[in-house]
Amino acid sequence: MVKKKCVAMLLAGGQGSRLHSLTTKIAKPAVPFGGKYRIIDFTLSNCTNSGIHTVGVLTQYQPLVLNSYIGIGSAWDLDRRNGGVTVLPPYTEATGVKWYSGTANAIYQNLNYIEQYDPEYVLVLSGDHIYKMDYSEMLDYHIQNEAEATISVIEVPWDEASRFGIMNTNEDLEILEFDEKPADPKNNLASMGIYIFNWKSLKKHLDQDNLNENSSHDFGKDIIPLFLNEGKRLMAYPFEGYWKDVGTVKSLWEANMDLLKENPGLNLFDHSWRIYSRNPNQPPQYLGASSEVKDSLINEGCVIEGKVFNSVIFQGVSIGENAQVDESVIMPEANIGKNATIKRAIVPGDISVPDGVTISPADGDDEIILVTQEMVEKLKKDVTA
Amino acid sequence: MSRLLGVIDAATVKGGLQDLTLNRSVASIPFAGRYRFIDFVLSNMVNSGVDSIAIFPKHQYRSLMDHIGSGKNWDLDRKRDGLFFFPPYFEPNETTSIGSFSRLEQHIEFFKRSHQDYVVIASSNVIANIDFEEALAEHLIHDHDITEVQHNGKSLDIYVISKALLIELIEGRKRSQFISVSDVTKQPLHNYKIGAYEHKDYTAVIDSIPTYFKYSMDLLRHEVWSQLFRKDCPIYTKVKDEPPTKYSSTAQVRHSMVANGADIRGNVESSIVSRAVKIGEGSSVKNCVVMQKSQIGANCSLEYVILDKDVKVLDGTSLKGTAEQPLVLRKGSVRESAVVQ
Repeated sequence: MVKKKCVAMLLAGGQGSRLHSLTTKIAKPAVPFGGKYRIIDFTLSNCTNSGIHTVGVLTQYQPLVLNSYIGIGSAWDLDRRNGGVTVLPPYTEATGVKWYSGTANAIYQNLNYIEQYDPEYVLVLSGDHIYKMDYSEMLDYHIQNEAEATISVIEVPWDEASRFGIMNTNEDLEILEFDEKPADPKNNLASMGIYIFNWKSLKKHLDQDNLNENSSHDFGKDIIPLFLNEGKRLMAYPFEGYWKDVGTVKSLWEANMDLLKENPGLNLFDHSWRIYSRNPNQPPQYLGASSEVKDSLINEGCVIEGKVFNSVIFQGVSIGENAQVDESVIMPEANIGKNATIKRAIVPGDISVPDGVTISPADGDDEIILVTQEMVEKLKKDVTA
Repeated sequence: MSRLLGVIDAATVKGGLQDLTLNRSVASIPFAGRYRFIDFVLSNMVNSGVDSIAIFPKHQYRSLMDHIGSGKNWDLDRKRDGLFFFPPYFEPNETTSIGSFSRLEQHIEFFKRSHQDYVVIASSNVIANIDFEEALAEHLIHDHDITEVQHNGKSLDIYVISKALLIELIEGRKRSQFISVSDVTKQPLHNYKIGAYEHKDYTAVIDSIPTYFKYSMDLLRHEVWSQLFRKDCPIYTKVKDEPPTKYSSTAQVRHSMVANGADIRGNVESSIVSRAVKIGEGSSVKNCVVMQKSQIGANCSLEYVILDKDVKVLDGTSLKGTAEQPLVLRKGSVRESAVVQ
């Protein structure tokens, strides 16, 4: 194998249980986002745009869709003769099946994958976040600061800091302490779950952690403290820009709505930093004679006869005559019947909303409705009754 | 495995399309917001199960090669069979008639080496969704020597022929004086059995600016759209990683087809808008075809205009053609009110 300077390990095994029915059959990184993409497209595109072409994707929970979506990585230009993308599910050994028992354990079980490239650095990523970041700049920072590990951090509002893993640093951004969800935060620099390690040090600590029976094998909780206890130089890399963990129905909806702003924090139209995805190859969208579309994103293959305001519409969706869709996210191949009204909702892929029904939160209710098949069946009965 | 070999004769020159073919061949003229002419016949072949397809280009084929690449988007990057690109050797007076024997002869080894027994030869400017396997079945049942694919009784310049007869015609062309497959079907004096296969679904043959415009507007009719863009027989094209199209609060779009990556702030009615087009606030675009990456500024008024790729229309410009003779803005050109009214 040809030696690689930096290998990326992308953790994509998360269930994302707070996304409810959206993740019963697919892992969180495979959840659709932004009218065209899946969440993992952002991290994979960041890798390819940063010139990191060796990416191991660690899958575990409901991997079928994710594995076939990634394929050999051509969509992200990661189908490479040397390196490229490799999907790394848990496997069996002579001693039995070993599921990934934590983020660090997932990397530990794939030491052989990393070793074959003999890298200087390993970049650990999570496939759960929406952001654009040049990892090569973070690597330069890591090298210039002669750090053993560098953790990307983002400033969060002080009153929210206790929800995150917080890095306590000195003025030079050297990390002194890691506080997982502190009740009384001393700082507001939150870990983004993006780490660069010198491979030799990481390997040593992964071996060490593996022998510790009381460890939860987690990067934040277990590995970073091992580095700190040895007095190694750990740096925080400050990131400025759009970053969002879309872990709940509400935050997934919000992140989609963020794209509709006049100058969104995340610009999908930047040709110098494209977000790549598997292209569905559908004909252009068709807007009918009585359609009205404002403040929205609409993808290929849609047939829009009704009204769409402040919404994100994925490929192949049809919206019937006189239907009105407001502040909603309609996922691939869903149908909205004639005269239906949808407000502040997420309609998952392939769901057909019957003609004439209304799906909308009660007045004053701040929640977002996640439409389900059962809900649709019930509405159908109500309409025919 | 299909018994058909595909040949796309992309040598066609149409004087009536000159404004759109200054730097490209007819085969690579953009159409329907995200496609090129050749995508239709090429996808039809792929959807008919044809595994081996040869493209014979002639003029300005840089954009065609760029578009087709390795054939990956049509699933034609294969170890066995796949896509072949056969540019011509220099021959000044060579015919552009479809299935030209002298042009095919330059690559006769391709035909001799292929394992398929039948050949479908097609021109590149037919917009349709044709099943060539059905045309072959017709060819075999009626024991034709050459089957001409027609629509409403008119030739589409698409032919099915056995490979053995094709090679015989190519090699005997000096003696027979036939210059092309198309030529054989038009000559009365020979013993070949010429038959027809009628393609009933929507078909457009584009050979001039008025027909280009007319058939573009046809796409806005539901029955045309549904016959061309079938889920079971998709039309493939070179994919671009454009984001979904963005409509602003000032956008008003009706009765139009819009491709991805567009940024729409103005009024659009009865138009075809291609990938990555920008239409500014206060502008009105009516009965227009706007090709890839063209930019229309603010407060413009355009009616019956075809904008080729990368055209810039500056703020406040008004341009108007007619349904019979739409105005064509050439690729890369810049327009402002002071120049054209």
